[in-house]
Amino acid sequence: MDYDDKGSVKDIEGDLQDRLACMGIRKGKTIRMITRQPIKGPVVVEVDGADTSLGLEMAKKILVETDR
Amino acid sequence: MSLTVDERWDLIDRISRETVTVGEYKETLTDVIGEITIKPMTGIPVVIASLYLFWSIFGSFAGFFTDGFFVKFFDQYWLPWWQLHFPDTWEWLYYIVVGDPLADNCLEAFGMLTSGLFVAIGVVLPAIFIFYLMLTLLEDVGYLPRLAVLIDTILHKIGLHGYAIVPTILSLGCNVPGVAATRILETRKERFVMMTLLAIFVPCGAQLGIMQQVIPETMGLVLLYLVIGYFVTGFVLSRIIPGKSPEILMDVPPYQKPLLRNVALKIWMRMREFFTSAIPFVLLGVLMVNVLYLAGFIQWLSSTLSPLFVYWFGVPEATVGPLIAAFLRKDLAVAQLSVIEMTWYQMVTAVVLVSIYFPCLATFIMLLREGWTELLGSLAVLIVVVTVYGGFVHLVGILAGVA
Amino acid sequence: MKVLLMGHPNVGKSVVFNRFTGVDVITSNYPGTTVEYSEGSMRAEGEEVTVIDVPGTFSLEPKDKAEEVAVEMLEKEKDAVVISVVDASKIERGLYLTLEIIERGYPVVLALNMWDMAKHKGLNIDVNRLSEILGIPVVPTTAVSGEGINKLASVLKSARPVEVETISGRAGGRA
Ligand SMILES: Nc1nc2c(ncn2[C@@H]2O[C@H](COP(=O)(O)OP(=O)(O)O)[C@@H](O)[C@H]2O)c(=O)[nH]1
Ligand SMILES: [Mg+2]
Repeated sequence: MDYDDKGSVKDIEGDLQDRLACMGIRKGKTIRMITRQPIKGPVVVEVDGADTSLGLEMAKKILVETDR
Repeated sequence: MSLTVDERWDLIDRISRETVTVGEYKETLTDVIGEITIKPMTGIPVVIASLYLFWSIFGSFAGFFTDGFFVKFFDQYWLPWWQLHFPDTWEWLYYIVVGDPLADNCLEAFGMLTSGLFVAIGVVLPAIFIFYLMLTLLEDVGYLPRLAVLIDTILHKIGLHGYAIVPTILSLGCNVPGVAATRILETRKERFVMMTLLAIFVPCGAQLGIMQQVIPETMGLVLLYLVIGYFVTGFVLSRIIPGKSPEILMDVPPYQKPLLRNVALKIWMRMREFFTSAIPFVLLGVLMVNVLYLAGFIQWLSSTLSPLFVYWFGVPEATVGPLIAAFLRKDLAVAQLSVIEMTWYQMVTAVVLVSIYFPCLATFIMLLREGWTELLGSLAVLIVVVTVYGGFVHLVGILAGVA
Repeated sequence: MKVLLMGHPNVGKSVVFNRFTGVDVITSNYPGTTVEYSEGSMRAEGEEVTVIDVPGTFSLEPKDKAEEVAVEMLEKEKDAVVISVVDASKIERGLYLTLEIIERGYPVVLALNMWDMAKHKGLNIDVNRLSEILGIPVVPTTAVSGEGINKLASVLKSARPVEVETISGRAGGRA
């Protein structure tokens, strides 16, 4: 669970894995967080040049190892 | 033979390693704008600015055509011509087709060919046209998903997620495609809440257009009441209805330049829809109302329902008539209301009632297609909401000393 | 012959459909414009072909009503040829759905749509090699300009069902 700029996806919890995979978010992919909306709002991430928005609870289940 | 999920991804990785190479990518202006409009600090002001822009263009464009041309044409040439030339052999026929022989404008006459055509073509057509032009541009550019992200937090409070803004906006054009768009929501609960809110609280473009034209002074407050109703009802429903409200999970496509061909095509399709289904309904609505008046039915119904309307809602009993027309077309009902003698606040209340009390026939049929249980549920909510909220609006008026 | 246009939401299926049939269906730049299917017809290689624009779906395990319609369509049309429309700039996830459809035994043609966007993003896809590995026709298209659409229509007949094992065999080394 990291809200840094950029990193690679280490792990995704449980059954979310399959759903996110279909949206292009998978283990090993480079992920960049574009924005995070205030008051527990959704985040917007970029993977392979495509933007996806997802709820905060879902985002928390994505384990990211940040580069830097 | 089929693979497991992991095997499939593994295979894809192997395929893409062999066939796909990623080159250098320079960020373009589009990407930058894309990010600006989705980040809250910059995105929310953009939302407000676009709303404002949308609204002022809507009002001024429609006003320009309606006031500048259609009102003159219909009131000075069209109406007098029919009043003079339509044979008055049968008084009832004259009444249905032309309406009041002494009326000096097309709102008051209320005949099929006078008020019916004036409302449909003179007022609603320009409003719908500009609305769809702007909506189409927003759609094709790719703004809606960004709006969905920005509004997600608020919509969560009413058991929906940001994507619910799409059916809501579509409904502002016409409730029918709005209801169809609820199918992209994941759970039955979300769909039900959404459909019910659309059917009750979201006025369609035709209604907005005519309000803007004939009763602009009530518009602000009416819309405020509808927005409050939307959220309060949504808040309550999301707590009573069992079921899950999942989080948003959605692609945000890059901005694109709208294609002229596609924009023209969409507007053409939507206008065609208007000519083939809306206009006949408006005319039919006038016909029905006139026949019911001639038969004395509306007078009877008005006096029967009078206590409810006069004491509970605080509006004149004559507003019952327009509510009948609202079954077919809300724009027609607003046109009818506008010529009834009443105070400003009574007008506000009456228009709120027309908006929330029953979806128009086309929407009703659409709801029916989504399932019986859903429809009955929505209607049950509707009856409660109309009674409670209508009374509430009256109460606020009393407390504020305007009703 | 029946042809189903399938793919993720917002990849350009409806634009392809319009190009094919001349029937106008609404297209927009947001996911979920098409929630019901539309049917039209065209002539390809002198044969009358029925084309169906299926609502977008991410996978064959539906998660909303529009996706259910999509999967039902596929299951109903047992003899159809499927054009799997993918956004070439997001090819990997498009391949996922494509493989799922192939596994169900349908003859598939892969349309790499939004070819212009992929190019713009600097993506390079070896179309011939991809077609070789998958064993199905692969056509790059830019639906909005009409590029590749005729080619797409002309390869429909050559689509054949393939076994995933053979695909797997042809794809290079273990990941
Ligand atoms: N740049 C580009 N845009 C495309 C292409 N094909 C479709 N689009 C756009 O992508 C959006 C989605 O298209 P649509 O046909 O509605 O997608 P569907 O959901 O798959 O039916 C529209 O704004 C199209 O104009 C293409 O080849 N290149
Ligand atoms: Mg479509």
